[in-house]
Order: sequence, then C-alpha cells, then structure tokens
Amino acid sequence: MSLRGRHNSAGTLVEAASFLVVRLGVNYFALPATGVRGVLTQEETGHEEAVTAAGTVYQPVNLAERLSVVAKLSGSERRTVLYSTGQSQGAIAVEQVVGLIDIERKDCLPLPSQFQKDERDWFGGMLLHQDQLVLILNLSWVLGELSGVASVPVRLAEQLVEATPASVGGAC
Amino acid sequence: MLRAARGQQQALSAKRLWNVVVFSVGGVKLAARTEDVEGVSSWAATIPVPSRTPFVQAMLKRDNHVMPVYDLAARLNRVVQGEPLLCLVARHLDGPMAICIDAAMPSLQAVNPASIRPNSSGDIESLGVVTIGAQDVAIVALQRLGRLRQDAVSS
Repeated sequence: MSLRGRHNSAGTLVEAASFLVVRLGVNYFALPATGVRGVLTQEETGHEEAVTAAGTVYQPVNLAERLSVVAKLSGSERRTVLYSTGQSQGAIAVEQVVGLIDIERKDCLPLPSQFQKDERDWFGGMLLHQDQLVLILNLSWVLGELSGVASVPVRLAEQLVEATPASVGGAC
Repeated sequence: MLRAARGQQQALSAKRLWNVVVFSVGGVKLAARTEDVEGVSSWAATIPVPSRTPFVQAMLKRDNHVMPVYDLAARLNRVVQGEPLLCLVARHLDGPMAICIDAAMPSLQAVNPASIRPNSSGDIESLGVVTIGAQDVAIVALQRLGRLRQDAVSS
C-alpha cells in the first residue's frame, strides 16, 4: 500500500496510506492504491475475459463471488480495476469506484477478533470513511497468492496484534 | 450482639448474590451477569460484513466506533420480537459485541449462586441455569459467547 508522510494541521509529520475505495453490493472495500494500474469502463474492457494493458495480461477476478457478496455488475457505474501486487495481476470488476482516499495510518483499524474464520485472510483491517465502514482488502488473497495457505490461527493473530500498534489503530 | 452477627451474615450473603440482567431473545428468557453487560440501548441498522464465522456477519456503528454483531437470535433459531428492538452490548473477551434482543425492557435480578444449576442442554455458552419467577433461565456467558460454537465448528 502507499505509505507516505504528510503534515497534519499541527505541522506534525504523520504517516498516511492511500486507498482506492470501491463498492460491491452494500459493502465498501479499500484497495491499497500503489497496486492500482488502471480503472476501465465496461466499453474499455470489452467482452474479453482477460484484459491486456501495457503488455501485461490481467486475468478476471470475480471478487463478489469470492466474498459471497450480492453485486449488480451490469450497472453503468461498473468499472474494472487493473491491479498488480508485483507478483500477481488481476482485473477486478466492481459496481462503483468511489474514489481515492488518503488516511492517517492510525485510522486503520484491525478486524475485530470475533471474526475468526477465512475473513481474516480476506481483510487486512477496516476504516471509517464518510460515515461508511470500509473493509481493507488483502490483495494477496484477492489475486490468489494465499490459496492453499492455512489461515493464521486467531489466537496467534491476536498475539501478533497485541505485539503491534495495530491493536490501537494502524492496521494498514 | 446476636442481632449484629445475623446482620453481618445477611450482608455477607447479599454480597455473594449475583446481579443479573434478564432479557429475552425471540421470546426466550435469558440472563447475563451485570458485569458482562456494557449497556442496553436502541437497536440500529447493521452493516453486513462478508464472513464465514458463524453468527458474526455484521457490524454496528455507533458514533465513530464499530463493533461486531453476534446474531444470538439465529443461534437460538428464533426471531427477535417487538418494536423497537434493543441492543445489548456484551463485554466479550475479544472486545465489545452487540446483540439484538427483544423490545421487552430487560430487568435486574439478584440470584443466589447456590441456586444455579448446570445447564444440561449445552447449546449455548452459559454459567448455568437459574429459576426466575417460575421459569428456568440460562445465564449466558457473554464473555465467551461464540467460542463453544467455534470449537464445535473447527473440531
């Protein structure tokens, strides 16, 4: 994700993170902005399964299906986000691109520990943006890099969280 | 002197009483220790969260805070009753957790721990069963709610 310093109103340097916020159904998701390679309209993607841009092939990723989210991907606001983690690439269809946001790292919150199953692989944390709950996607999972890798047991995850500032914010 | 001793004894046994909040979910009366309850307020719309954790599929936003929602009604195969529904915030070991309960206003009761019997049904994390009025009421172990289910699912 994009982490960079910026100054707050008091002139203190704070660490900020950039995200592209998208919507699928009733859920808002944040993608770390550094991996975004492009945002295409339906006309630009055409009817091809994979999208080729700047010599890179982006295989389609059905995020709604992977998250079991009901999404209407036939609307006029549908977009395809071309994303690369460096290791993997994918073309992620979303219902709407809300926009790019910069937030302070301390405002990224860990997923509550009561969420104990696969969703701990799916989301790196969460944040509140314009009164909306936004779930921070783990793009390694989205692009299939985590397939076959067992989830970190939640108790171990808790210990890791306790050992990092993420427990009081800063999950991104 | 004898009276004073009796008074002390009464005070001691009063200290030992458990204070419980009695509430209902889908018409089922339940209780919880008051120290396990952070508060009761009106229910608000929840935000669904993609999740595979049983009964933890949403979050509730209050001001600038969000907390997970535990669907106790679904766990009990019940539907919450009445309007407006209430929100019981549990002091769970993993952090505050919201539970939607019936509109019927919860009440406070003091129960003698000696009268608490083991919960033979074992369908929910509980501290035992106590008779309140003429009804057997399970005292829900809010601090570890969901953990029995998690263990059962994962084993």
